Amino acid sequence: MFDFKLTQSQQEARPDASTKQDDQVYDLTIIGGGPAGLTAAIYAGRARVKTLVLAGSLPGGQPANTDVIENYPGFPKGIEGPELSQLFQEQAGRFGAQILINDATEVDFSAKPFTIHTHGAVYQSRAVIVATGAVPRRLGVPGEDKFFGRGVSACATCDGFFYRDKTVVVVGGGDSAITEAIFLTRFASEVIVIHRRDELRATKINREQALANPKIRFVWDAVVEEILGEQTVNGVRVRNVKTDATRVIETDGVFLYVGLEPTTGLFAGQLELNEQGYIVSDRRQRTSVPGVFVAGDAQDPLYRQIVIAAGSGAVAALEAERFLEGHQS
Amino acid sequence: MALLNEEIAGQVKQELADLAGPVRLAVFTQEFECQFCKETRQLAEEVAALSDKLNIEVYDFVADKKKAEELNIDKIPAIAAIGAEDYGVRFYGIPSGYEFASLLHAIKLTASGKPELSAGALKELSGLKVPVHLQVFITPTCPYCPQSVTLAHQMAVASPMVQADMVEAQEFPQLSNKYQVMGVPRTVINETAHLEGAAPESMVMAKLREALA
Repeated sequence: MFDFKLTQSQQEARPDASTKQDDQVYDLTIIGGGPAGLTAAIYAGRARVKTLVLAGSLPGGQPANTDVIENYPGFPKGIEGPELSQLFQEQAGRFGAQILINDATEVDFSAKPFTIHTHGAVYQSRAVIVATGAVPRRLGVPGEDKFFGRGVSACATCDGFFYRDKTVVVVGGGDSAITEAIFLTRFASEVIVIHRRDELRATKINREQALANPKIRFVWDAVVEEILGEQTVNGVRVRNVKTDATRVIETDGVFLYVGLEPTTGLFAGQLELNEQGYIVSDRRQRTSVPGVFVAGDAQDPLYRQIVIAAGSGAVAALEAERFLEGHQS
Repeated sequence: MALLNEEIAGQVKQELADLAGPVRLAVFTQEFECQFCKETRQLAEEVAALSDKLNIEVYDFVADKKKAEELNIDKIPAIAAIGAEDYGVRFYGIPSGYEFASLLHAIKLTASGKPELSAGALKELSGLKVPVHLQVFITPTCPYCPQSVTLAHQMAVASPMVQADMVEAQEFPQLSNKYQVMGVPRTVINETAHLEGAAPESMVMAKLREALA
């Protein structure tokens, strides 16, 4: 019944600010430690490129807070998200990339070598792969900020336990919403999925499972307009998008799976972004700045699949290697 | 049956191969009415067996009341990780799942006695004049949580005034209720202030200042 993960301790938690400057110059810095960044690290490590990975606050990326992944090839029985994340990290570490649990806080791509600031250190790098991914979108409704972490959550694996025998609402209709709704039925007595359309966007197999689950109930054509409660969450106010009628649905907690937004704020003014904030790149994962590449959800508004993120990470690393060879010899 | 499989045990052994100094794991347990006391003790024993520099001391929460008071242990299962001195690094509940990484981190941290914090935070923490109690509520399935736990433990090592506890929310439902924990990680500072989510050092330090003001 117990499992034991080594994930974090394998890496240095925080770089010492006093580390010598020489140690802080890299051929390649990968910003982001999800499937895209870690795949890039595997390729770069094998190419013997001196590589730093700034893995950010959630090493392993989005799969680390996903219950089960059934569409990543090589795992015919499915694999738990955290386990897949850990395997990615192990494999990336094996080939020599230095992986730090730290965030990039500021970058300068206007001069070479590029400069990357983190909490407590500054690094220089001849090439960069941006693989910062995407974060769950918030609703932007009253009550959401007040109750975030106290009844409103975007991590069912973290917080599902607190809703044993309680009622929870899941907002969204995509694959994340539906798989996490199914996961939450392990704890909650009732899971109410609120979706703005009259059918789910999720993959058919997930849809079938959710629709057949007796603990899951659906509220169609509805958007959440407010999260209600005094000390704790006790309900959500929803509006029917077809009739405009509003009503209150009682619940003890709210889990948000209403899509993602790219984590690219750091690069505004440095790299070309599109209107939705995604980093613009070509088929070779090159950005508007030569030597800076991008991979994963930070440049993908369409698919957001682990296998695709990993694939783009491999492309970015191969291209970064080519770039470095051209500039080194 | 062993809790740690051979593969994990091998990795842990490697992890602990270059410990900077000796560490004692003081485990507090009780024979009955403690959900995971047996497993927590077993886990500590298995980990301790993987390094020459690690020792384990097992105490009974009731029979060894004095020792519990000395180490400020108020519930079980508990593990105190003690290096050259007792820095105030504690685990309440079994450090399984993602928190196993926090346990290994705490062992290495108390072995070295050297927290990896910014110079500003180190200075501020070493100048603390009043006791600070950090309680980090976690679930073992929370990938963000070890970050908050390891940060709190580093703060404990940085100052004799700070005690930092990992608290496994599922094993201490009465505490989870008391502090209204509905999401993790949640860091409670001196009963009064709290922080949701895996906050970076600067945010935790700001919250600490707020709590002490």
